[in-house]
Amino acid sequence: MSLAKTWFTQKGWKPHKFQKETWAAIKAGKSGLLNAPTGFGKTFAIWFGVIQHFHDHPKPERHQLHCLYISPLRALSKEIFLATNRVSRDLGLPYSVELRTGDSSMKDRTRQKKDKHQALITTPESMHLMLATKGYKEQFSNLEFVIIDEWHELLGSKRGVQIELALAHLKAMKPDLKVWGISATIGNMEQAKEILLGSVSGHTEIIKANLEKKITINTVLPDEIEKFPWGGHLGLKLLPKLVPIIEESRSTLLFTNMRSQAETWYQQLLEQVPDLAGRIALHHSSIDFETRKWVEEQLHSGDLKIVVCTSSLDLGVDFRPVDTIIQVGSAKGVARFIQRAGRSGHSPGEQSRIYFVPTNSLEIMEGSALKDAVKHQLIESRIPYVRSFDVLIQFMVTLGVSEGFASENLYREIKTTHAFQSVTPDEWQWCLDFITRGGQSLGAYDEFHKVVLEDGLYKVTSRSIAARHRMNIGTIVGTSMMNVKVLGGKNLGTIEEAFISRLRPGNVFWFAGRNLALHSVKEMTAIVRASKEKNGIIPSWLGGKMPLSSQLSASIRKALTHYKEGGKPDAELKKLKPLFDLQQEVSHLPGNDELLIEKLKTREGYHLFIYPFDGRLVHEGMATILSYRIGLLTPVTFSISMNDYGFELLSDQDINIEDLIDNNLFSDEFVYEDAVRSINSSQMAQRRFRDIASIAGLVFTGYPGQEKKTRHLQASSQLFFKVFEDNEENNLLLLQAYDEVINFELEISRQQAAFRRIGTQRIVVTYPTKPTPFCFAIMVARFREVYSNEPIEVRVEKLLKQIEKK
Amino acid sequence: MQIRIRETDFTLLAEKALWRPDTAQLIIADIHLGKASHFRKAGISIPADSVLEDMRRLDHLMKTQQPKEVILLGDLFHSSYNREWHLFEAFLESFPDVRFILIKGNHDILKKHRYELPNFSVTDTLEDEQFLYSHEPLEHATKFVFSGHVHPGVTLSGKGRQHLSLPCFHVSSNQAVLPAFGKLTGLYILDRNERDSYYLVYNGMIRELR
Repeated sequence: MSLAKTWFTQKGWKPHKFQKETWAAIKAGKSGLLNAPTGFGKTFAIWFGVIQHFHDHPKPERHQLHCLYISPLRALSKEIFLATNRVSRDLGLPYSVELRTGDSSMKDRTRQKKDKHQALITTPESMHLMLATKGYKEQFSNLEFVIIDEWHELLGSKRGVQIELALAHLKAMKPDLKVWGISATIGNMEQAKEILLGSVSGHTEIIKANLEKKITINTVLPDEIEKFPWGGHLGLKLLPKLVPIIEESRSTLLFTNMRSQAETWYQQLLEQVPDLAGRIALHHSSIDFETRKWVEEQLHSGDLKIVVCTSSLDLGVDFRPVDTIIQVGSAKGVARFIQRAGRSGHSPGEQSRIYFVPTNSLEIMEGSALKDAVKHQLIESRIPYVRSFDVLIQFMVTLGVSEGFASENLYREIKTTHAFQSVTPDEWQWCLDFITRGGQSLGAYDEFHKVVLEDGLYKVTSRSIAARHRMNIGTIVGTSMMNVKVLGGKNLGTIEEAFISRLRPGNVFWFAGRNLALHSVKEMTAIVRASKEKNGIIPSWLGGKMPLSSQLSASIRKALTHYKEGGKPDAELKKLKPLFDLQQEVSHLPGNDELLIEKLKTREGYHLFIYPFDGRLVHEGMATILSYRIGLLTPVTFSISMNDYGFELLSDQDINIEDLIDNNLFSDEFVYEDAVRSINSSQMAQRRFRDIASIAGLVFTGYPGQEKKTRHLQASSQLFFKVFEDNEENNLLLLQAYDEVINFELEISRQQAAFRRIGTQRIVVTYPTKPTPFCFAIMVARFREVYSNEPIEVRVEKLLKQIEKK
Repeated sequence: MQIRIRETDFTLLAEKALWRPDTAQLIIADIHLGKASHFRKAGISIPADSVLEDMRRLDHLMKTQQPKEVILLGDLFHSSYNREWHLFEAFLESFPDVRFILIKGNHDILKKHRYELPNFSVTDTLEDEQFLYSHEPLEHATKFVFSGHVHPGVTLSGKGRQHLSLPCFHVSSNQAVLPAFGKLTGLYILDRNERDSYYLVYNGMIRELR
């Protein structure tokens, strides 16, 4: 009898079909990708295949590592660790599992090196840390399986590139290694498999679980649209309407898009519904790990009525008591919305139930669009990173720190990955030069020291460089964070250093769901005490604003057109009627065959609002390309703002948009070329470079206790960017920043499609005298881009003239 | 650009230095020599050419102004010793008749013997009857203080939500803070007030913000 059968019988459970299929595939020696949602026993589908293999292939060196399980989240790793260990114990199987993440203590790590265990559960970063440790070849010499969990999450990030590199290196050591990925449904499933298994020998397959759940979607609507705000993203206005929903549900997860928003919601819920006290909790990634763990345990036991959270609870094991999800603000994508909805309804016979809470009036449209997109399963693709030289350079140094690498061997390995298949011998040589000579020939005064060539192997010989590199491994770039600790008490979590540095002792701020007064700052720890004062400031964490996906954008255009053409409106569109009427009255309500442009003059200057309804990313790129095209005729500086519906070009001079339209401003020709040329005058590449500089080891944030030693080695990424531009314009890291802008910020293929569509549309220019329902939210946005091709002295003179007039 | 402080003429130079004609003194703050090499020695690949640029600008200033004395307002060398120091030694040798005085800054942590050069001396502060030279800004009851350390800059804002940050000289009634001379330095953006004067430096130009 198979181990799976024994165990499932023991438990009185029946395996799913996809679990049996996976066990068979693993038995046949295949690698593959398992397409299954969170929950539903996807881990067991793989796990029993792995331990069965161990059971069936007794080898003398059974005490060595047999399976490496890589999961993107520490919290998830812990769950998998407990579950798999329980299986070994239940079956009396000599298969011991260890856990190693960033949280593992030095003591644990040393013990893990000595103790023999068969499986290790870890994260991509800890995996690379192992490759930076002497003796890893010996440790992995009997490795049979590598499992990559939540591959869809990793794929669209540089952590995915880290996985590709690690796999290529392991496969070079162990050619018959079997690799299994687990992924939720994404638009590019086949490509996801190719990237994960590209260089695997033998048969591979995709196994589908086909277990998608039914989802009920409701939009929470304001009673009076006239009193609902045109802008903003907090959504507190609808809070009273959520109270009955929360009361009637067993347990609710309320998702916000930002940590500061979660803090605000938690605070407001407590204030407006006082009897939630003791039954409400807060969960986001800056809150202390132990506290989060406690919240999760309470969710499992059903002791919490509601948890306010961010993406920190997107993934992970299911909480059976949760039967309701509330999404505050745009979910930005169909996949994320479905994922979040799926966090509810795990008791037998239950459905997933999600409430969408719009935060401003136009966002109500998204409720309508979401229902349509979910119905048609318009799931987004994850775009993989390619040619991430920052990750490659980090990896080269990682291997240099441990056992060193031979150039030809490693080049051959990286060429098998999707990310680096196009790297030329010249580019490879550049990378070698970068780590051995700092990217140039060594002059008389130069003492560049990082990686050295010794007996044909590239190695790091300096202990301090090795130590600093180990600290820096990873691709998730944070700003400098500070621990927040109660005076003489426990850790609460982390806040950006920049926020703390603006406070003085005694200042009150709101964090981790309580009012705190800053007591003192000690190295990288902010000591606080509880405060009775109300209205502390809420910290803002830097975080990328998610763009609306093209799937959801298309669904919104579809809903708007449906309304405009007199189709039967659903509840959301019906609610929006007064707003649409007003938009039509003061400006124009565009249909699918129209592109609306609004021109407006205020005290701030001359505004142009353009509404392609294509998502913030496409808008950012389009704004830059249009700025470039306008700037060809006259030097200009624009302040650019955008949201998911449109964008603004704000200038200190009147732009004759009508003439420009006649002069092919929106031409779909040379979109790529203009995009490339426009990047120089914007700050997008410089911003991209922030992460690249950090991953490549140029910039590092201080770590506790080490500040003094490294302070003289700190410089901003902008400084590097400027110096590279001035002195080394062919620097591959610099070029990578531009490539990333083209592929991820401008999303060039989506951009071209948008320009082509506009080519078929009628352009409608209106001249409202005050802000319209459409433009308001864009106009008040604080976060702005700058585009300028005016000479700096002209800009200085213009600015000075205005300042000095006052 | 000429300014008058305590009945004495000074020239603000667009090279981010201060010139006092009556005593032929050149005053420079925060050069941060050796920064690129310090980074490179630790395996951080900043292009070393950027170093030479600062030295070239320094050399150029010496030739155009012909000072008798150069006052370095601290943070001359970025960190612990590296070979870039010899570039500076060679530079000193080429101006044997000029006295160089370093007002020690928080970055100046070289061992004493490195400073033992014929036309070079190190001190914590320097003063004459009217003026006091310090690395960090400080208030003095009677004397006017020249300092560096801050790397001062201002942000200009205007119509169309435009912003531009530029290095500057910051001059108040009893103090002047010089912009950082070194290329590999950042900016600290000041909160402007009505009483003080700000002289912006950009593109080889200098201009007062009125």
